[in-house]
Formats: sequence, C-alpha cells, structure tokens
Amino acid sequence: MDAIESLMPDDSGSAPALEPIAMVALDAGRMLMEAGASANGVDVIVAKFARGLGAKRVDLRIGYASLAITIGIGSNGITRMREVGHLGVNQRLDQELWHLATRVSQHNLTPDQTRAELTRLATKTPRHSAWVMAVAVGLACAAFGRLLGVDWLGTGPVFLAAAIGQFVRRELLTRHVNVFIAATVVSFLSSLLGGLGARWAGSMTITTAMIASILLLVPGVPSVNAQNDILEGHPTLGSARAVTVAVILIFVAAGLWFGQVLLASWH
Amino acid sequence: MNLLFLLHQTICGAIAAAGFGVLFNIGFRSLPWCAASGAVALAVRTYCLGLGWNLEASSFAAALIVGAVVQVLRARTDISQNALDVVGCIPMVPGSFAAKAILGLFALTTIDTADASQTLITAVQYTLRVMFTIGAIGTGLAIPTLLLRVRVTR
Repeated sequence: MDAIESLMPDDSGSAPALEPIAMVALDAGRMLMEAGASANGVDVIVAKFARGLGAKRVDLRIGYASLAITIGIGSNGITRMREVGHLGVNQRLDQELWHLATRVSQHNLTPDQTRAELTRLATKTPRHSAWVMAVAVGLACAAFGRLLGVDWLGTGPVFLAAAIGQFVRRELLTRHVNVFIAATVVSFLSSLLGGLGARWAGSMTITTAMIASILLLVPGVPSVNAQNDILEGHPTLGSARAVTVAVILIFVAAGLWFGQVLLASWH
Repeated sequence: MNLLFLLHQTICGAIAAAGFGVLFNIGFRSLPWCAASGAVALAVRTYCLGLGWNLEASSFAAALIVGAVVQVLRARTDISQNALDVVGCIPMVPGSFAAKAILGLFALTTIDTADASQTLITAVQYTLRVMFTIGAIGTGLAIPTLLLRVRVTR
C-alpha cells in the first residue's frame, strides 16, 4: 500500500486543476474536428488551449470518432478521452475557434470562461439559411454541369434539382437520418429530377445533367483531409476518412443508378 | 487556346467554388476569395489541358498554384487556408468519373459476358483516373503547405 501511494503524484493544490483543462481542450478539438479541420489543425488548437490554460505537457491522439489527451503539470498528469460526432464542414465555427485559441494562448481566460465561450460558439455561430444554401448549391452544381459539358438547356434543371436536393439533405440531417442513407435518398431524388427536367427541356446531355445534379454530395473536404492527414503523419485517421469517402460514393452511386433505372423505364 | 472557352471555364469554376463556400458556411464577405480560388484553379487547369497535358497533370498544376497563392495571401483573408484551397479545388474533383466508375461496376452484374470485359476495363479506367486526379489535387495542395511549414520550423 505504501509503495503504491509513493507512486501517486503529490497534488500540492498550487497548480491549476488538470481535469477542466483537459476537458476544455478536448472539447475545442472536438468542435474543430466536427467543423471539418484536418488532424494537424486539431493537434495545434488542442495544444494552444491546453497550454494557454496552464498545462506544461500535452500529448494528443486523434481518432476518427474520438480524441484522447494526456496533459501534465510538474509531476501531475491525467489522460482523458472525448467522443467526436459527425464530421461536417463549418468554416465560420472553425474561424471563431482559432480566434478563441489565440485569446486562450495569451493566458487571458480561465477554464470556466473558456468553457462558456465554447458553449457560446457552439450555439451562436451563425449559419446561412436553408434557402440561401439551396440556391448557392444549385448554382454551384449548374456551373459544375457546364464544366462537365451539360448544354444550356440542361443547366436550368440541374440548378433546380440540386437546390431541391440540398434542401432535402438539410432536412434529413436535421432529423438525424443516417448520413449514408441521406446521401442515397438525395442522390436518387436529384438525379431523377435533373434527368426528368433535362428531358423535358429538350437537352441532349441528360445523363451528364443527372450526374451534375448530385455533385453536391461529392465529399470534397473529407477526401482532401484524408490525404493531408496521411501526409502529415496521421495514417490511421486518413485511412478512416478515405474509407468513409469511398462508402459515401457507393451510396451516392446507388441513388444515381436507381434514378437512371427509373428514368429509363419511363422512356 | 480559345479565350472564350477559357473565360467560360474560369467563370464556372468561380461560381462553383463560391457556391460550395456557402455550403461550408463561409461568410458572405469572404466569398469573393473562394470565387477567386476556384477561378484560378479552373483557369490553370483549362490552360494546361489546352497545352495537351492530361487531366491528372493539369489538376496537379492547378492545385499547386492554388495552394501557393493561398499560402501567399492567407494573411489577407479571414478564412482558414485549408478551407480556401479546398473550396478552390472542389470544382476539379472528378465526381462525374467516380459516378461513372461505380455505375460501370453495377452494370457488370446485368450484361452478358461479351460486353463485360469492355465494361470492366472502362470502369477500372474511370476508377484509376479518379484516384490519380484526387491524388494529384491533394499532393498539389499539400506541397506549398508542407514547404512553408518546414521554413517556419527552421
């Protein structure tokens, strides 16, 4: 018993408590990861938060669905883990987290104040409205369509199909429908609407219009992050992201395939 | 090089990048930077394709230049460098090839053996082009970032 107690670090009470520092730093990392950051960004921001709040040693393990941190001050140290949710993309939240990290790294905030700021960012960071997003995505897919060779008659239907698809996708994700199932549903709906619209408009590029209508579902950020993570020394996370990208593409293609079959049967 | 075609591709690249910028919740004030990033990417890629380069090499050159420009300009923008260069390169992600590749593999289950080999070859060609193009874009974006990081560390 005495031997075990001699191994336990002495908590003098003068050092800041490690638990709140670890949990706040992990939450900052989790939020950044869920906002679409690469592993390197998460690594840097967690270290900034932990050191800014008083930690002297910081080690982070980044997984696809969890983060684990070990922090230490003097002879004291703790290890904590935090689950990571759905990995989306939210650039404004990403930006706000970096601004907060700068303030924390200047030792201006306590763990409680930092926690309050993180809660405020999670709830108050503005998002574009559903309609603005739908119109923007419609325009983006129409432009994509032109890049792929869709004729002008097919461009309008692509815009409408992609805008409706984005609106439906947002609704499905708000209702916590599985990401892969949502991808198939939106892919089917958008490709079918794009194909029907292009045929009705007299377009000569119906198949390309169908494909252009679903390009909103192409996981561009995860695919680039996957490669970045591998290049920056996080092959496990990079591989997990790459597998997720591949599975999303399969589910998207399944929706497109079903849309094509249905459109052909109505010919 | 047909200048009208180059202009068309550049404008479409800008619109696509700005549209995806909104999807990624980038603020309205920063959207012109996204549009500029997409415009540069498509202009370079179209120019290189016009020189007779293949899609993979053209995408690599475009991503390299976008990555370098974003590195130079990152102090002037309020967007993370990662988001800005990814948004710019998204119009170059070969989503169409990916869809055709997977649909080709689906088609293998429904056709007779005589067409199967040609369908398989086409699907594999599309798959390889997707892999190489995404690899080219990722590598092109990573090189300026990694080079700068080395310089800063030293």
